[in-house]
Amino acid sequence: MMSPLSATTPADARARDLLLDVRHLTVEFPTVLGPARIVLQDISFSLVSGEIVGVVGESGAGKTTLARSLLGLPPVPSRIVSGEILFRGRDLRTLRDAELRRIRGKDLSMIVPNPRGELNPLSTVGQQIAAVASVHLSLGRKQARQAALEMLKAVQIPDPARRMDAYPHELSGGMAQRVVIAMALVCSPGFVISDDATSGLDVTVQAQILDLLRTLAETRHSSMLFITRDVGIAAHFCDRIAVIYAGRIMEIAPRQRFFFEPSHPYTIMLLAAFSHSAELRRQWTVPDVRRRTGAGGGCSYADRCPLAQDKCRSVEPALTELAPGQFTRCHFPVVRR
Amino acid sequence: MHFATYIGRRLLFIAPQLLGIVLVSFLLIKTIPGDPAVLMLGPTATPESIASLRAKMGLDQPIPAQFAIYVKSLLRGDLGTSWQTTKPVLDDLVQRFPATVELVTFGLLMAIAIGVPLGVASAVNPKGWLARVADFYGLSAGAVPDFWLALVFIYVFYTVLGWLPAPLGRIDLSIIPPRQVTGIYTIDALLAHDWQAFVSSASHLVLPVATLGLINAGPILKMTHATVERMLQSDFSRYEVLSGMPRSHVVRSALRNALPSIVTIIGVLYGFLIGGAVLVEIVFSWGGAGQYAVQGVLNSDIYPVLGFVLFSAIFSLVVYLIVDLIYFAIDPRIGH
Repeated sequence: MMSPLSATTPADARARDLLLDVRHLTVEFPTVLGPARIVLQDISFSLVSGEIVGVVGESGAGKTTLARSLLGLPPVPSRIVSGEILFRGRDLRTLRDAELRRIRGKDLSMIVPNPRGELNPLSTVGQQIAAVASVHLSLGRKQARQAALEMLKAVQIPDPARRMDAYPHELSGGMAQRVVIAMALVCSPGFVISDDATSGLDVTVQAQILDLLRTLAETRHSSMLFITRDVGIAAHFCDRIAVIYAGRIMEIAPRQRFFFEPSHPYTIMLLAAFSHSAELRRQWTVPDVRRRTGAGGGCSYADRCPLAQDKCRSVEPALTELAPGQFTRCHFPVVRR
Repeated sequence: MHFATYIGRRLLFIAPQLLGIVLVSFLLIKTIPGDPAVLMLGPTATPESIASLRAKMGLDQPIPAQFAIYVKSLLRGDLGTSWQTTKPVLDDLVQRFPATVELVTFGLLMAIAIGVPLGVASAVNPKGWLARVADFYGLSAGAVPDFWLALVFIYVFYTVLGWLPAPLGRIDLSIIPPRQVTGIYTIDALLAHDWQAFVSSASHLVLPVATLGLINAGPILKMTHATVERMLQSDFSRYEVLSGMPRSHVVRSALRNALPSIVTIIGVLYGFLIGGAVLVEIVFSWGGAGQYAVQGVLNSDIYPVLGFVLFSAIFSLVVYLIVDLIYFAIDPRIGH
């Protein structure tokens, strides 16, 4: 059977081909004393060509670990302990390093936050983009440079020809972010992971970058996993949105349902935090007092949940389908009557 | 350009720096007990002859006056005379300093050739056997004294195997040293197309160079290992890996980013070894500048010591200038 979370409707999923199918991905973080801490627990979701799926959650929820694990490089020292990452039908976990390397940056690339730290300080921007192009597309020196220049034009950097020879420290944060986007997209990858790519940028720049990302994804028919802390951005950007909390998917739903009929108390809390109604915020926001004490059984959100009952503290809920395409991990989902 | 002004400014500071170094070493040497006049005249000297010699050498004057006299003669290019060799210190040093520079330079090149590749290899593959070898090597290179290693080498390669010449200087006594151009025998021999002198001086170099190279590869190895490892864990290396760049590319850019630290430690070692190689010089009767200075210290012969300090200070300043120029070439963030 296909993963239940494929797309809006089963018919849709069959019609379009599945690009990424993550099944039961579990990532652990070994600790010196005591048992390993689970950073991602049983993550399953999938994504079809051209789709943009958002992942929202607080910092520390496991968003970056998810992004990096999909590329086979979870942050050191955590490691993937089980699950499958099927990309175009091939399980990335079974591939050898050399095969993975050919996929990374070419078919499956990542846009990272804090771009100035992510670029090699001793090489020019043009050299770095060209290096990616020449490695993955087997381009000659001149062609690779040309591809880099084209890409810098595509990300709308002012004066791209001159920026080719600029070093990372000579760029503003927004420009460096555009360079990283150029690097990630120069091979026209089928799938792009954007890990909080616009955090730390001015709001105006943020909007420009988001527009750019969407346009580029559309023109290149790239799918995207869009990771962000900002539910508002996800609302503008994504076809479906997943909420993760303490390494688990709490709710995943098509955009429409996510915003108008959220079912998980945590989702509602996130949305309430962005709402104008102080009343709503008070009602749903519970201070983060006992933070993720670990596998004590029961729902990981129970300690902060205003609706928690005894069952929530002893039995962990499973992800169940509430409405077509909307899955929630809650014993007592909020249903609008 | 930035570059030229930078060099200009550095060169401008060299003169006051040197003056400071000379002043400090002059004062320090003056505090060493021992009267050169007494030593020079020997046990049979009368107090009168000692006093007259002290007056002749200017030793009866106050220290600031002595310093002024020394600096004044320095400006004329006169570094004083060594009473042991009875020759002008400048002549002695012109002959001996290149000997030390030759030894130390080749020793350091060997240390680099061992330390950098081993350091990179152990940073790239921290669990490999090469990393374990490097680890053990780094430890033992720090623990073994250079003069002891030199003696072991002499015993094995000269006494037992007889592969290499006796540790008696820089060239066979039966061979005339090549005409001095650089003062470095191997180079001078090549310039003079004197094959025999080249082979002889090169074979005399092998053991002392191996000693210095093996010992000093330790710190270079450790520094290379630590910085390349840090660079490989940095965000930009990780992003290169995430972008699917080949391992060789990732390692190369990590090494490039680590180079400033590696060049720094090499520069520091270079300056240090000019005096620090003295034990090896003594073991091999090298006749270098370090040996000359130590003789000076032991016999209250102050001008050779001061001359040595001055020479090695200039040498270090030049080395540091080159180190800075290398930073300049590597890192676009400097000076812009």
